[in-house]
Amino acid sequence: MTPGATPVAGVPAVPAGATPLRLPLSAPDVRALVVGDTVALSGEITISIGLPTHRRMAEHAAAGRPLPVDLRGGAFFHLSAYLDEADGAALPRALYMNPSTSTRYNEWMPTLVRGLGLRLVGGKGGLDAASAQALREAGCAYLSFLGGGCPLLSRAIEAVVASHWTEYISQFRLTTLRVRDLPATVAIDAHGRSLYADLHDAAAQRLPQVLQELRARREAAPRFGAPPT
Amino acid sequence: MITAELIQHVAGSLYERALKGIPADTHRALQAALGHESSGTGRRTLMMMLDSADAAEREGALVCTDVGIPVYSVKVGTRARLEGPLRAAIAQGYEALVRRIDPPILKMVTHPLTHERGHTGRDIPIVSFDMVDGDDGLEIVCAPKAMGSGRWEELKTFVYPTLEQIESYVLEVVARAGSQPCPPIVVGVGIGGSFDHAARLAKQQVLRPLGQAHPEPAIAAMEQRLLGAVNALGFGPMGLGGQAGAMGVHVDYAGSHGFMPVAVALNCWINRRTGARIDADGHVEWTG
Repeated sequence: MTPGATPVAGVPAVPAGATPLRLPLSAPDVRALVVGDTVALSGEITISIGLPTHRRMAEHAAAGRPLPVDLRGGAFFHLSAYLDEADGAALPRALYMNPSTSTRYNEWMPTLVRGLGLRLVGGKGGLDAASAQALREAGCAYLSFLGGGCPLLSRAIEAVVASHWTEYISQFRLTTLRVRDLPATVAIDAHGRSLYADLHDAAAQRLPQVLQELRARREAAPRFGAPPT
Repeated sequence: MITAELIQHVAGSLYERALKGIPADTHRALQAALGHESSGTGRRTLMMMLDSADAAEREGALVCTDVGIPVYSVKVGTRARLEGPLRAAIAQGYEALVRRIDPPILKMVTHPLTHERGHTGRDIPIVSFDMVDGDDGLEIVCAPKAMGSGRWEELKTFVYPTLEQIESYVLEVVARAGSQPCPPIVVGVGIGGSFDHAARLAKQQVLRPLGQAHPEPAIAAMEQRLLGAVNALGFGPMGLGGQAGAMGVHVDYAGSHGFMPVAVALNCWINRRTGARIDADGHVEWTG
């Protein structure tokens, strides 16, 4: 590790070249985001990684019932947070957070994106084609957060603004946080371009060539049964 | 004499260390990947990974919120003298750590039928044992397994597969996982043996130190060409595109039958694994 190369504890880490974004975003703000952009978010975000939470949110959205937090024009992310209630305050403290695999929620994301009027969603690993289609229609983008980026992402937490559905375990609750300079990468934009779909297609296209190279290297390789070195 | 208290302490410490840093070889592998990565997004992502790992170590913070399920592999010397229980001591060490760890950890252990979550459960921590003939000590490895990579591991039983079929299957599994297992990953491949043994081999290969080639040249060559192929798929760091899709592909095999299981195990970029050796006199050497 190079001394001075890493930020001081407690100081938000904005990656070099990141575009600062103040939340909530307008529809044109979101349409201006391009796949591959690094951004740093400041403002309010709502998070949950609960499957029961998603099911319940989708039921609310489908029935037109309001959620305990208004997400119209807002940001909803698959971030998992530890909420500490130890000091008995009205609101818990969020000790840390980190993304979870978003494809687990594919089933509900189109309903949530269309029904709640979200401008930003995110997590890690992306969403499927049906969700990307919903993002394009609704003018919403998907952000990728660093898996294993807990120390960096947690620095951005300023405060817990609200925490609902407290009958669930910490990371399943519907929690709204105020963040400053939360780093992320635009991975599916509001025009429907998905880095994940592009990479998946590119890998599928490349596969025959990769397998052919494997075959060539296999034929040139040492034979099995040769003595250990 | 190796006491139960010492085993408890070591089991707890191994889990905590696995959550609050990454192995030194993994740090080196990420730095090496940064030197070769041509994707700008890939380079930025690798730099954030290194920053995150360094910050966790410096601040005593968790690298990832998904602390996984606790998994221990233990090698017991046939001449080791233990005072008190072994399996129970490991479980007590884990449970004591869960109570005292700062920051506290989320509930990840899930009942497979009710989906109820906690820190404990049937067979948790998962502990497997091996015997080492003649040794008078104890080796414990802790490799907590989380969802990011755990979800994509696979096993398939073939009948007299060709080498080409085996290698294509490994690529197929990695391609299916694609952007999702938090690459650059470590791939462990177990070929042959029985159903359970192939899975065990694959897991052991994930835990092999990076940069250590298999002693048989033909297997070492297979590892190298599979690593090249995995990286050529282009998923890159965090699956956002680039060359650094894997830090290593490690392969091993066992005598089998006409049916031949092939298991593919994966670790995400934080590559959680810590180890310790406890000598007969109670001296502890931390090995990772």
